[in-house]
Amino acid sequence: MLKIIIPTIMLMPLTWLSKKNMIWINTTTYSLLISLISLSLLNQPSNNSLNFSLMFFSDPLSAPLLVLTTWLLPLMLMASQHHLSKEPLIRKKLYITMLTMLQTLLIMTFTATELISFYILFEATLVPTLIIITRWGNQTERLNAGLYFLFYTLMGSLPLLVALISIQNLTGSLNFLLIQYWNQALPDSWSNIFLWLACMMAFMVKMPLYGLHLWLPKAHVEAPIAGSMVLAAILLKLGGYGMLRITTMLNPQTSFMAYPFLMLSLWGMIMTSSICLRQTDLKSLIAYSSVSHMALVIVAVLIQTPWSYMGATALMIAHGLTSSMLFCLANSNYERTHSRTMILARGLQTLLPLMAAWWLLASLTNLALPPSINLIGELFVVMSSFSWSNITIILMGTNITITALYSLYMLITTQRGKYTHHINSIKPSFTRENALMALHMTPLLLLSLNPKIILGFTY
Amino acid sequence: MNPLIFTTILMTVLLGTMIVMMSSHWLMIWIGFEMNLLAIIPILMKKYNPRTMEASTKYFLTQATASMLLMMAIIINLMHSGQWTITKVFNPTASIIMTSALAMKLGLTPFHFWVPEVTQGISLTSGLILLTWQKLAPMSILYQISPSINLNILLTMAVLSILVGGWGGLNQTQLRKIMAYSSIAHMGWMTAVLVYNPTLTMLNMLIYIMMTLTMFMLFIHSSSTTTLSLSHTWNKTPLITTLILITLLSMGGLPPLSGFMPKWMIIQELTKNSSIILPTLMAIMALLNLYFYMRLTYSTSLTMFPSTNNMKMKWQFETKRITLLPPLIVMSSLLLPLTPMLSILD
Repeated sequence: MLKIIIPTIMLMPLTWLSKKNMIWINTTTYSLLISLISLSLLNQPSNNSLNFSLMFFSDPLSAPLLVLTTWLLPLMLMASQHHLSKEPLIRKKLYITMLTMLQTLLIMTFTATELISFYILFEATLVPTLIIITRWGNQTERLNAGLYFLFYTLMGSLPLLVALISIQNLTGSLNFLLIQYWNQALPDSWSNIFLWLACMMAFMVKMPLYGLHLWLPKAHVEAPIAGSMVLAAILLKLGGYGMLRITTMLNPQTSFMAYPFLMLSLWGMIMTSSICLRQTDLKSLIAYSSVSHMALVIVAVLIQTPWSYMGATALMIAHGLTSSMLFCLANSNYERTHSRTMILARGLQTLLPLMAAWWLLASLTNLALPPSINLIGELFVVMSSFSWSNITIILMGTNITITALYSLYMLITTQRGKYTHHINSIKPSFTRENALMALHMTPLLLLSLNPKIILGFTY
Repeated sequence: MNPLIFTTILMTVLLGTMIVMMSSHWLMIWIGFEMNLLAIIPILMKKYNPRTMEASTKYFLTQATASMLLMMAIIINLMHSGQWTITKVFNPTASIIMTSALAMKLGLTPFHFWVPEVTQGISLTSGLILLTWQKLAPMSILYQISPSINLNILLTMAVLSILVGGWGGLNQTQLRKIMAYSSIAHMGWMTAVLVYNPTLTMLNMLIYIMMTLTMFMLFIHSSSTTTLSLSHTWNKTPLITTLILITLLSMGGLPPLSGFMPKWMIIQELTKNSSIILPTLMAIMALLNLYFYMRLTYSTSLTMFPSTNNMKMKWQFETKRITLLPPLIVMSSLLLPLTPMLSILD
């Protein structure tokens, strides 16, 4: 694992010592190389995890998330080149340093064995993200957005610290590899109910759960493109990953404690999808769509069946790539018109046809078109929730319909129809942008050929 | 002030604290406190104006009252135990009075009212000495009598201090008052774990002193006492803004910075002793502190504070040379990975 962590840390001196015309080239190339190293982790032994040391391990759940994280850093760097082009050199280097620091912390989070180490790194990812949102965002609202982001997450996760320490007192060790062999049922008592709540709330806020999701539209909308990408693609998945890890220790309370959260998620996914239909702000639409997809993941994790875990993992990876791609597309609009209003730049298919092809592919994967991995994830979740309770099929079906509705609404509003006359002088698509979209889409399409690598540890 | 006299006075302050920390006779401890108090008054009044006089008078009155209460507790202890050596105080009355006296000296709630006003009235360097060095002596006595302190009173004072320190700082823009409220909150954290594991109190004291020292030195470097003047540092020394950001986040207790280490250790110790609600409450109330630190970082490093062109051209004085700043900054932000080393403290 050090062969991934140390090169990522060394990206920081690389940034600071590069010449002015080489910073983007150096960092993008080397981060792409590092992502190729992480691909070797996908080769997992079938019934166990890869243990690198006492501190780091990777199993079929964390390996795809790790690959996604390392894959995303070069994409983030490519996406940020335009909006940072006018900044002084030191600020560019600071930005890349923040991204690299965030990347290191994320890699260590996904591979941590000890749960307290996971917690510390989980919290530590907040600091670079906060700095990226607040320092490089564009509107005044970013200050409020940063505060909401920081405080929602911290309020949820401080009880988690106390809960982890009390679990350590009870069981003697928080090393994940040990716990999965030594697990015992939690006795039924009021304090264990609060323990369950304390453990789960941090990840519920991070996912986010429907009632606690206020920070997400603010943070996603106000963040610069790299911030949005990393937030949507990875940081939300931290919540899902944490929940998947910690629910192994929390039986049997989960069987009855999960009901309120299941209700909230099931209702929330429909509510947030419906809100998407009425959004004027493009990034806000994509943000609410993230909430909706993550609500599906929450449902899947709380049901705790092998199929639902497969669906949750596949959905996390698929949503990571799709959502990040949608944010890049929205950003390409924003860089041209400096506005996020959807109807302001309509009919782009006439002006930028290749970009319209990417918009089409992204929208199609967002609405879970077969045979993409989005469909595999959603289908597994729908099927397992149907087996948990037959009535949920109505809600799930409604959600799939509304998802299709708003994805196509977004596609048709921005791409089809007559173009508005004031945008006929926008710059054509850069090669960099097309490369960015291709690098997002290619893994998505290729994974539909072999989805077994993203189906997690219950495959 | 005449350098010789200033040195003498400073040495007296140091000597007073040393006497407190190293004595085994209660009377010597009281003498040490009095020496410390009398000698620090001229330091607090380095600039001679009515505001400083008021602050010094308030400080003198509260600390003298606390010393008298301490003396009464010592006498009651003498009456009941018949000896003057420092051990745990067996008589509950004496213990309670002594705890109150030391809380008054430290600035714990409900005796915290003097801290913001005194810190605001004096210069930055004197405020630095007040908030760091002056805490050492009372804390060392609390450490020594820790087995006998009434747990209820101490925990109430600690939790109320964290609450007051967080809430009181929310409405402040003066940097010295912000640091004062931050000191109240940190003292609360330190005393909360005193009965369970006094070593963690000392650890928290050490890290708190480092962080406060760093903050004050950064303020002294930019000669800023208000949020407004701090927000102009991006124009003169942009590096200082980054350092202010890191140190403030560390004071707020965010991982992976070293300010998280005392909070983590204290929560761990409290949880091991089967109190679960208390550390959760304390941790959540520490978020209040984090809020006003974040507000400071927003106006200082994370945004360009709007200012007129005239304000950008401040007087360019000769840069003060702050000797210890780089090591302090490193220590106040990067110590978290050394946490496993704390096992040597047992």
